[in-house]
Amino acid sequence: MMAGHASLHMWGVDHRLAPTEVRERAHIDPERVRRLLEALAPEPGFVSAVPVSTCNRTEIYLETLPGFAMFDGMTRCLAAAGIDPALFTGEYAVRLTDAEAVRRLYRVSAGLESMMLGEPQISGQLKDAYRLAKEHHELGPVLMRAFQGAFRAGKRVRTETKIGEGAVSVAFAAVELARRFFADLSRHRALLVGAGETGALAARHFLQQGIGGLIVVNRSPERARDLAADLNGGKGELVRARPWEDLAAALADVDVVLSTTGSLEPVILPEMVRAAMRRRRARPLYVLDIAVPRDVHPDVARVDETYVFGLDDLDEIVQANLAARRKQLPGAERIIEEELAEFRAWIGEMDLRPSVAEFRAYLEDLKEKQVGYVRRKQSDEVAAAVDASLQQFIKKVLGRSMESLKSAESEQERLQHLATLHHLFAPHDPHEQHAPREQHAPHKRHAPREPQDTREIL
Amino acid sequence: MRLALTVSEVLLPLLYLMLFVAYLWVFYENRKFAHRWARRLLATTVVAHLAASAIHAGVHHHLPMASPLEFLSLLALSLLLIYAVVERRLRVRETGFLVTGVAFLLQFISSAFSVAEPAANPLLEDPGYAGHAVLVLLAYTALSLSFLYAILYLVLERQLARKTFGLFFRRLPPLEVLERMSVGAAKLGVPLLFAALALGHLWLYDLADKLDPETARSLTPYDPKILTSWVIFLGYLVGLAGHRWWGWRGRRMNTLAILAYIAVVVTMGAIHHFIPSFHNFSLRGGA
Repeated sequence: MMAGHASLHMWGVDHRLAPTEVRERAHIDPERVRRLLEALAPEPGFVSAVPVSTCNRTEIYLETLPGFAMFDGMTRCLAAAGIDPALFTGEYAVRLTDAEAVRRLYRVSAGLESMMLGEPQISGQLKDAYRLAKEHHELGPVLMRAFQGAFRAGKRVRTETKIGEGAVSVAFAAVELARRFFADLSRHRALLVGAGETGALAARHFLQQGIGGLIVVNRSPERARDLAADLNGGKGELVRARPWEDLAAALADVDVVLSTTGSLEPVILPEMVRAAMRRRRARPLYVLDIAVPRDVHPDVARVDETYVFGLDDLDEIVQANLAARRKQLPGAERIIEEELAEFRAWIGEMDLRPSVAEFRAYLEDLKEKQVGYVRRKQSDEVAAAVDASLQQFIKKVLGRSMESLKSAESEQERLQHLATLHHLFAPHDPHEQHAPREQHAPHKRHAPREPQDTREIL
Repeated sequence: MRLALTVSEVLLPLLYLMLFVAYLWVFYENRKFAHRWARRLLATTVVAHLAASAIHAGVHHHLPMASPLEFLSLLALSLLLIYAVVERRLRVRETGFLVTGVAFLLQFISSAFSVAEPAANPLLEDPGYAGHAVLVLLAYTALSLSFLYAILYLVLERQLARKTFGLFFRRLPPLEVLERMSVGAAKLGVPLLFAALALGHLWLYDLADKLDPETARSLTPYDPKILTSWVIFLGYLVGLAGHRWWGWRGRRMNTLAILAYIAVVVTMGAIHHFIPSFHNFSLRGGA
């Protein structure tokens, strides 16, 4: 239990245990989210849930009360939503409760559980999942607070550490490398040699990063034209196709070359580049050869102002960046612990609130009586002064009480204090025998509450 | 006023040190607040140093360049001024630690070993000469910055060519920006040098009656330092034209910038030591 009777659970599959095929089957699209939440809603003890589904993980975070049959209820509702329950209960599944579930959520939000350590996309994906769940039902206070804390933890980890710095994928590394040459990619054009799948992916990535133009050259002109049209997406002429014979001429018109053909012989030769460099008037040329076998003749790298990089170089950058990110882990873990401590404090206060509210009500009631008495015997001015003075008194007494309750040395001591507070100041049934002060303080504001349950401290 | 001067001698090196630390922070951390602090400290240090120089001029009735130590302080200020202009134009702060580091060293030496009242050359009280001297200082500082950025260009270019993806690879601005910074500094230095030379020619003969007769007789527009400065001016002008119209860029252009600057330093040093010139501050009464 976390607060009162509420519990948090996480059921999921992720990239650490589950292969891609399992993760694909476990994916929960928005329609299934709706169906799952509709199926869960009537279950006794269910409060709320947030299903999070990305390419690396599907995780369902739930807030429940006693009475919710976790295993049976969840498997039944997953099946009702068209999701195979076995995926979330079998060998690839991860199931966590309370403290561990919250810790997992915070780590996911900070990108510490991601395949690419520190990747930023997960933050947006978590927020989308949170928004989607809120559209379908009202979130319980504990789950809502856990998500808000997770968002804050993720933001702090990204801004206070360098865990998000440096490219950790080959595609990003290619762009990062280009940015070591050119400050603003929109002022430079790229040449894509080859119209295969790898080339298309690389080109798409450069376009997303704002390259100023793209020329596609391919042995088959039709494929070059098709790819250019596809990359343009019906909008503008940013990508143009040119015939294979124009390859040498095109080298003079661009600053970035992406070569990805399936040719067995090099297609970019030193004499072509030398001729191009004469026309380029020594502007640096960044050549990225991501073909196997290589498209760029080894001697091209010896041409002045020509810089050739291959997959191994990009991989070296990625590995160096990953190592740098791993060095940031202790700092990130410290932030997560700080945010978890804040969540624990909030949970603690959540338990205190009803008892403190009873105490406050009792004090307020006494104050009103005292002020009323002064008003009758003296004047409104004196009563107002007494009212202000007593208000200050109540504030100080409550503040001190909260501090004492929070600083209890053990859970047992804390529960004892809460029980005492409740016993002394909770409203009592007027018909109850031996009810203290019943004729003096007939409280109406707060219904009697059940004693605090034992909580699992995070 | 004298108290303000004494205070500035303590405060200025501290400000320069804080500025250097702020730019180091930018280089290693590259965080927004580090950039913000560096920008604010740069403005504060420049304003504080200008104010201190104005107070100095008010108290001593001459520019703070009467002694080598005062000159170092003015050199630190001119470095910051030129750097501030280049940084403002290109909005790149990752190289600032180098410039502010040098400026801090200059200012520290100047403040640590300063004497109470250096013997002033009466020429320093002449506004024409003072303007000429300040412009020369700013011009050569700008050319020095151009040299520094050309070196940084070659450092990063070598890392890229050798595929050693180290700290400079991760932290330095792109090659394109380093080249722009080098060219930008030269673009500041060339007109400043022209203005300095033009002002020097205009005031050349007006100075005659302020010099001792022997030095006054040696005043000539064909002084080796003046002629060399015109050659330097023309050389850099051709370099800038080549960059603008003839596509002089990349590694060769930056190597040329480095060689040109080394040639300037060696030539000026040789002339200063081996060829008689009225431009010799070490001679009493010299200009």
